[in-house]
Amino acid sequence: MQVSLSWLSTHLDLSSYTVPQLSDLLTFAGVEVEGIEERGVATDKVVVAQIQSFEQHPNADKLSVCQVDDGSGALRQIVCGAKNFKAGDKVPLALPGAVLPGGFAIKEGKLRGVDSLGMLCSGKELGIGEDTGGLLIMAADSPVGTPFNKLNPADVLFDLEITPNRPDLLSHLGLARELAALTGLPLKGERHHASTSTKAKAAAEEQIVIKAAEACPLYTARIIKGVKVGPSPEWLRRRLESIGLRPINSIVDITNYVMMEMGQSLHCFDLNKLKGGIVVRMAAEGEKFLALDGQTYDLLADDLVIADSERPVAIAGVMGGEETGVTEGTVNVLLESAYFAPSGIRRTSRRLGLSSDSSYRFERGIDPQQVQGGSEFAMKLILTIAGGTAEEVVQVAGEAPKLVGEVTLDENRARKLLGTPDMTGDEIHAILEKLGLTKKSASKHESHWGIPSYRLDLQRPVDLMEEIARVIGLDRVPSRQVAVASPVEAADRTYDFAMNLRQSLAARGFFEAQTLRLIADAQLADSLGGGQGVAVKNPLSEDHTTLRPSIVPGLVATAALNIRQGLHRLRFFELGRVFLTLPKGGSREEERLAVLLSGPVSPTSWHGREPQAADIHELVGQIQNLTRTPLEVRPVKENSANYLLTSELRAGNRILGWIAQLHPARAREINARHPVYVAELLLSALRQGSTGPTKFEELPRFPGMTRDVAMEVPADLPHAKVAAFFASQKHPLFVGAEVFDVFADPSGTKMAKDRKSIAWTLTYRSSDKTLETAEVDAAHTAILTALEKTLPATVRR
Amino acid sequence: MLSELDSLKTAALAALEAAQDESALEAVRVNFLGKKGSVTALSQGMKDVPVEQKKEVGAKLNEVRTAITEGIDTKKLALQAAQDAKAVEGIDITLPGRPGAGVGALHPLTQIRDLAIRTLRRMGFALAEGPEIETEWHCFDALNTPADHPARNEKDTFYLPDGRLLRTHTSSVQVRTMEAAKTLPIRIIAPGAAYRRDEIDATHLSVFNQLEGLYVNHDVSLGDLKGTLEYFFREIFGVGTAVRFRPHFFPFTEPSFEIDVKLEAKGKDARWIEIAGCGMVDPAVFAEINKARGDNLFDPETTTGFAFGLGLDRLAMIMHGITDIRHLIENDVRFLQQFAA
Repeated sequence: MQVSLSWLSTHLDLSSYTVPQLSDLLTFAGVEVEGIEERGVATDKVVVAQIQSFEQHPNADKLSVCQVDDGSGALRQIVCGAKNFKAGDKVPLALPGAVLPGGFAIKEGKLRGVDSLGMLCSGKELGIGEDTGGLLIMAADSPVGTPFNKLNPADVLFDLEITPNRPDLLSHLGLARELAALTGLPLKGERHHASTSTKAKAAAEEQIVIKAAEACPLYTARIIKGVKVGPSPEWLRRRLESIGLRPINSIVDITNYVMMEMGQSLHCFDLNKLKGGIVVRMAAEGEKFLALDGQTYDLLADDLVIADSERPVAIAGVMGGEETGVTEGTVNVLLESAYFAPSGIRRTSRRLGLSSDSSYRFERGIDPQQVQGGSEFAMKLILTIAGGTAEEVVQVAGEAPKLVGEVTLDENRARKLLGTPDMTGDEIHAILEKLGLTKKSASKHESHWGIPSYRLDLQRPVDLMEEIARVIGLDRVPSRQVAVASPVEAADRTYDFAMNLRQSLAARGFFEAQTLRLIADAQLADSLGGGQGVAVKNPLSEDHTTLRPSIVPGLVATAALNIRQGLHRLRFFELGRVFLTLPKGGSREEERLAVLLSGPVSPTSWHGREPQAADIHELVGQIQNLTRTPLEVRPVKENSANYLLTSELRAGNRILGWIAQLHPARAREINARHPVYVAELLLSALRQGSTGPTKFEELPRFPGMTRDVAMEVPADLPHAKVAAFFASQKHPLFVGAEVFDVFADPSGTKMAKDRKSIAWTLTYRSSDKTLETAEVDAAHTAILTALEKTLPATVRR
Repeated sequence: MLSELDSLKTAALAALEAAQDESALEAVRVNFLGKKGSVTALSQGMKDVPVEQKKEVGAKLNEVRTAITEGIDTKKLALQAAQDAKAVEGIDITLPGRPGAGVGALHPLTQIRDLAIRTLRRMGFALAEGPEIETEWHCFDALNTPADHPARNEKDTFYLPDGRLLRTHTSSVQVRTMEAAKTLPIRIIAPGAAYRRDEIDATHLSVFNQLEGLYVNHDVSLGDLKGTLEYFFREIFGVGTAVRFRPHFFPFTEPSFEIDVKLEAKGKDARWIEIAGCGMVDPAVFAEINKARGDNLFDPETTTGFAFGLGLDRLAMIMHGITDIRHLIENDVRFLQQFAA
């Protein structure tokens, strides 16, 4: 909200506070100052001057030498760089000694050898308005010699963030009240929010009917006849303009002024355009309404309207109607002042996407006690400014709801909650009293408080404790630190496990990515692991429609971005959450680790040749190193469109995740220079394999012996089959086997095309003695015999 | 004989001097000391030496043999040393090292989150987590945010067709934790993603990262909140960092504060930077949790607590002087490698 210091100052004398002090005062009262703008000049040494004549500067093409009348009787010579004036124009003149906004001091001097006794100013130089590239040309009737700030008073504008719990601060009077409480300065008290001297009369049925008392408990109307609508006087226009409101006509401006002055939103109808009395009712479903903004709105039965006997004339508290608004031709007006329930206004405003200064205040809650005061204040201004005569009584339908009551404060609890055991009862009472609360009674540790009608936020004891905290500030509260021994939670173990994985991958040269969990439909085809993501009902853009079912799409996008930057050795991982729609409805969230790898196995350097590009075995190896459990790679039957070589990664019965090669067609789309490999692993499955401390295994005391075997097998016999054979061997001396060579010749010259040669090293050891060659040979022969029986293999002997 | 021995010695030493490698050295040894070597041949003549000269000639023979042996050993060491020196000759040690597998890096967000977690764990906070797809109750109702609260509309919050939503803050983990708690105290932190329907620009992401904290016990005071968060931010930003608490409003805490820390940007005056929100848990939250639990573990009469939340993306940006939040989600390696630890 824009707040004018000069406006505030009509309520209390803030001259003893500097702008930064005021800013701090507001900030520490919980009103955040989001901007401060100083407008106009405080000094009297900027005056209205009239340019009598001017001529080209003898030594500078771009300068003029002006003779100006500053009201002193003698002409004054000023050198000026602007071009936008003519003789006779009235412009602001800064006299020597003036200090302009930004601290710029004006002195007598010479410009390129010519005397210049002051400076002619632009609007921007005076802190009013934008740079227009020339002098500020003032109205022709501006009196020469008058201080500029008499015509354009200096002001400071605060842009304030009023939190939703403090609607009472959404007016100058409200803020003044708060500042008075915080500073102890007296309110001038010229205007009071709830003061009213006119008589109220219960409205007759034909005048006002409230058919929706819950949404509108109180409605008042006042009729003023014979007004003359025209432009508002200067002071009123200036007040509105200072806080960014556009003056419209005197009646509308007055209602806006009262709203900004005391927070009561009003509406004026052109009485002659109303048909019959006022009906406050819910709209009929589908009822149409043409609002002041020129738009037609479709209303629902949930929307409160002000209607005459035929049609809605206002969306209550939100916006008036085009047909019944006050115009230059209006003679008789009906002035509405009412209390509308916040929730209804909020719903209607949201649903219609229609927000106004009025709805902003009603939906946060206004003081029901100010409804009549607001009406009277507006009436007086109308009579003064637009003339006319007002009916003696205000017609009132319904009654002001009682929104605040009394609150009992247990002062010991306040001390405990705030951590201020030394705070005395007197101090507590003084704080609450200066905030306008009334002490009804007090005993040793308990006091009973009446709440002012505008403090809708003070309902419970804790609300009063908050007020005390707000006033004393946290500087008063001694810091305390306790440490509590917390048992380790499952989340702690998961986190530590995940951090270890991260660090391990970073140490292997991988970069950790963090991509958005909301991805585009188009990215879903890059998903790995099957499963369907979770679509959002109201996405913001087509780039972010679905909660990802897989992390890999984000990594593919990451690869694409880095490829565009010229990087072709790609090593990325991301650890985070994925979202899966469950077949029977609902969803599941799980943590996964995704890895992407492409390009040379090591970075290029001055040592020589480009290292070879990684193949899928490189990624299998990386994962193997990470999981530390024997990994089974089991190809799946069908690849999705964007993948080849898709395989499950398993450890025993557990599915650890999936690995695949990005389809070359997809890789070309992202301009990948090398094949791109991806994997996605389930964190919970990885963790299952690493529970508890590692159990130590005795080191072998006797040396082992190895025997190599080379064999020829069909080209399509998977390694996994051979490995499974060796894993199943139970010979007591046999420890294990490892493949060390795979050879195939697709050309068919060195070996038949449908055959390959593989070579393994077998290790034999006994735990209680050094083996004899003969024993090993016997064991080896037995295993090779079994091998040839089990597998389509020919051992080369 | 004596003079023969002398000249043999001279010849051997000259040959040693001339030897340029191990094989030349070996040849010298064979030529002089080998079975058929000239010194060996002379020593076989000892038997013909007259008795009175034997002692003298024998000594001489020993001297020559020793001199040659030592000469060979010395020369061998010298040759080895020369060879060793040669092995490193021409190496330009100023060349860059081999890159190995290269250097990776943890994402700066991970790093800052870990720093925050480590710091809070030292104060006895345990980790907690909750779903990112939440019910309205966990995200709003239980947190004293009424049904018509502005944050709950579809303009600001992502919803699913089934009525659930993407949590707008990690505060829903407070609710999850209190719902499941068996006893007091509760002392948890919950890092996690949260969602708001914001257009992505230099300062906004639709998916961002928060860290939530909650301490509930009997007699937790504003002093505990202040002490804990002052400690936390001073651990993060340095011992001398000024921390201030500005009154604010959140539906689920009362009183509520925003926290600013005073930080210096390069070449500028230190200024206050908003960094977190916090407050004392509103009794209405406890009451709502009790209702859901069907007990009175969080008796609003005796239970108090504090909660805080901070934006990790923002923290990372402030810590590292990152000017555009989108760097955090683009994962450009030129960005990431700046944070290689």
